[in-house]
Amino acid sequence: MNTFRNGKFNLSGESLTDNFELLVKALDASISGIIITDNNQPDNPIVYCNKAFEKISGYQRSEIIGHNCRFLQKDDRAQPARQKLSDCIKIGSDCLVEIRNYRKNGDLFWNELYMSPVKDKSGHITHFIGVQNDVTDRKKAEQDLRQQKDLMEKKIEERTAELRDSEAFLSSIIQTVRESLLVLDPQFNVISANGHFLKTFKVSSEETVNKHLYELGNHQWDIPQLKELLVKILPTNNPVVDFEVEHDFPHIGRKLMLLNAYRVELEGQYKDQILLAIEDITDRREIERRKDDFLSIASHELKTPLTTIKGYIQALQRMVSSEAGERFKTTLDKVAVYVDRLNNLIAELLDVSRIQSGKIELHKTPFNFDAMIGETIEAMQTSTPSHHFILKGSTNSLIEGDESHLIQVVNNLLSNAVKYSPESKEIFIHLSRVSEYVKVSVTDHGLGISIEDQKKVFERFFRVGDVQERFPGMGIGLYICDQIIKNHKGTLWVDSKKGEGSTFSFTLPIGEGQANGN
Amino acid sequence: MEIKKILVCDDDEGILDMLALILEETGHEILLENNSMNVLSIIETQSPDLILLDLWMPVISGDQLLKSIRANSDMHDLPVIVISASRDGRKIAQQAGASAYIAKPFDYQELIDSVDACLSGDITHMSNTI
Repeated sequence: MNTFRNGKFNLSGESLTDNFELLVKALDASISGIIITDNNQPDNPIVYCNKAFEKISGYQRSEIIGHNCRFLQKDDRAQPARQKLSDCIKIGSDCLVEIRNYRKNGDLFWNELYMSPVKDKSGHITHFIGVQNDVTDRKKAEQDLRQQKDLMEKKIEERTAELRDSEAFLSSIIQTVRESLLVLDPQFNVISANGHFLKTFKVSSEETVNKHLYELGNHQWDIPQLKELLVKILPTNNPVVDFEVEHDFPHIGRKLMLLNAYRVELEGQYKDQILLAIEDITDRREIERRKDDFLSIASHELKTPLTTIKGYIQALQRMVSSEAGERFKTTLDKVAVYVDRLNNLIAELLDVSRIQSGKIELHKTPFNFDAMIGETIEAMQTSTPSHHFILKGSTNSLIEGDESHLIQVVNNLLSNAVKYSPESKEIFIHLSRVSEYVKVSVTDHGLGISIEDQKKVFERFFRVGDVQERFPGMGIGLYICDQIIKNHKGTLWVDSKKGEGSTFSFTLPIGEGQANGN
Repeated sequence: MEIKKILVCDDDEGILDMLALILEETGHEILLENNSMNVLSIIETQSPDLILLDLWMPVISGDQLLKSIRANSDMHDLPVIVISASRDGRKIAQQAGASAYIAKPFDYQELIDSVDACLSGDITHMSNTI
């Protein structure tokens, strides 16, 4: 030690005492707590502590002098750091430990303790010097950090498990769905195929996965329409929905398929992969066709005797002599009305079937809208003497549409208005032009429809509950009207108040250049 | 009024009877036939001025028959009114070359007007608009 030479302190002080005091002041100025214990005395008592030690521990020097250091641990004895300390004391080596100590008031503080033995010339340990630093804040930060880390790891574990779960769940769904699914890489190589694909197209996973789509099963997927979908349509229209492809497969026969394709656009490992869902609609189409055929035949067969009946009734009406009684005439007229109604019901049944299978055929030609409305009302007026139809307004428009179907709509609205207003005698029809649309409103002052039922009257086979008993019907008229108007890109709606009557309105777009403006 | 010959072909006897009753009033001569196979020979032997033809008939359908008539140089301009309960009847009739189309069940006056128009030569083929 440079400051202690030839038995003298070699500081700047005049005397040994001066220099000694200077050293003591230096020890007291340290922010680390310093203690010295005497190893020559039993139980290694503390013989010195500096100011910082008093400050860190909360004990006064007078309270601890002569004590062994262990009081600092209070009852917290089973600390690994204590074992390390006592091992080092035994072998006389220095050591650095972090140990839980307790202040006089009982508060825990973390003590970073550097303990070094002092030896005499013979190597015998005379003293131990302990240098203490309160590292509670650091330990707490470390602990917090560790806790955060643990928490994070736990969360990651949970999330990973969740992900694995949902991946397994997803894959079980993909394997279970009754739709064929393929995942393709950007070069159209198959990355995966689900069970339904393998089953439907009678192939194994080995001969499918990692193979090029067009080369699958002896090039049976080398379909021009499919190529067009993948190469031409998908790159600009993502996703492609319900793309119909018909193809004759060598072993399984002709298949009608609906293809839905989606290219992953999200950045990441799946980018540009293509999901291809193949729905086999061969059977469904066949069933639809058969249903359609059945209804066509049924309707034809029902109409044939009806034609005969109607023909005879019309012949009878002409044969009735002027002397015949009014009762005879009106009875005959009524028969004619109900034959027409039966005919309309048959036509509606066929219409519903066609609309459902999307096969309603519209023959659109331009026609004079107001004339159509006028003639339809006139015909209805002739067969309905019970009510008075009052037409107001005009559209002066040519409409591009299926006139016979639109007549059907107007007829339906008019006959509904009559049917549901037995007490009221007037039906109002209003025509107007609204922007680039024509608008028709049919108003009656009859039963009216409650708010809840208003939403449902356009649904198939819906009948307003209390109306069913008094006014039987199938509940398809308005559904067909709605579909026809939708097919013409117009809207059909109802405004009504229960007990006050209803107004059914529809709009139809006037095609560009069709409005003649007269 | 000049008396003309009208041939009616429908496989349903009820329709034939009824049409006979209605068409009697026109004062023309009515020929009834329920077998479409016989129509071509009847045209050759009887030379009707107008044919009323059903579409759905066994063995030879109305549209097949109509196409044969239109393809035959001896009878291709014979007026033929197609009368059918088929939903697609109008389109089929038009494509086969019908002079007019009447949907079953028909309106009495519409039938009479159509017969008159065809017999007087006012209508030779169906218009494109429906």
